[in-house]
Amino acid sequence: MNANEREGDQDPVAALLRATPPVTVPTDFLTRVNARIDDTAGWLGLADFRAWTLGLVPAAAALVLVAILWPAAPAATAAPASAPPTQTQVVSSQTFTPSSYSDWDQDVTANALLEAALRAPASERR
Amino acid sequence: MDPDGALVEAAASGSREAFDELVRRHQTAIVSLVRVLTAGHGDPDDLAQEVFVRAWRSLRTFRGDSAFRTWLHRVAINVVRTSQTRRMRLLRVFVPFGGMGEQDAPPPEAPDVDERVDDALARRQIVERALATLPEDLRLAVTLRDLQGLDYKEIAVALGVPIGTVESRIFRARQRLRPLLAPLMGREKARQQ
Repeated sequence: MNANEREGDQDPVAALLRATPPVTVPTDFLTRVNARIDDTAGWLGLADFRAWTLGLVPAAAALVLVAILWPAAPAATAAPASAPPTQTQVVSSQTFTPSSYSDWDQDVTANALLEAALRAPASERR
Repeated sequence: MDPDGALVEAAASGSREAFDELVRRHQTAIVSLVRVLTAGHGDPDDLAQEVFVRAWRSLRTFRGDSAFRTWLHRVAINVVRTSQTRRMRLLRVFVPFGGMGEQDAPPPEAPDVDERVDDALARRQIVERALATLPEDLRLAVTLRDLQGLDYKEIAVALGVPIGTVESRIFRARQRLRPLLAPLMGREKARQQ
């Protein structure tokens, strides 16, 4: 015996509710539904944020993919391109001498800075 | 086998004629359900229209796990709940102090059975007013079963609760309705004899 049979279809309350007269649906109900569907499909549809968010999901997913994959692709090709600046830094480390205060404002490598500090006279060391 | 299956498939492919037929088939049930759920608050016809607009928009996401009728009822319940939540929020904002919000509103009146019960409209109003005295979960369950004719499994799917819960809610709802509708039932019985 399933739940529907267990409920007791003889229940007078159930019988009364089932005998309730149906509602009267307005005659233009279908027309109004169609008009609203047309509205949402037209200009008013542009204001529907749900349509926007759902419609933009593929574009958002594509952007996320690009963001994830982008750093990986240039990193693979970046090694040869970054070699010359490294050489420049090496050259600059050989010529760097902290003769004036403004020299310390230049971009220097940590190695050049350490070398300059070690070469300085003992009186300037702290 | 879903009796609406072929129409749903055609409508999901963009056929407005098929969707029109689905509206014709289910409009009475949905208007009736929305009327009971709103219990006199809001515009039931407007909300019922919104149900079908929402259904049209979401038809492509309907996977046929349940019958179309069950799915449509679930859409209707969601539309009414969203509308009620919005309404409550507005009431909270605009009637913050001293005003009569939904919480403070008096409970719906019990039906007056001295009304002209022979009139179909009056009978319907009496039933609707009796249903309006029930808590929402009981009202929803008994409406889906006795007014909409859904079976227990369909109700469980529409409400997202186990069948046992559905049974219990329907049982309690009928118990509460019995004294409210007893005079009406007496008249019905007398009329039949």
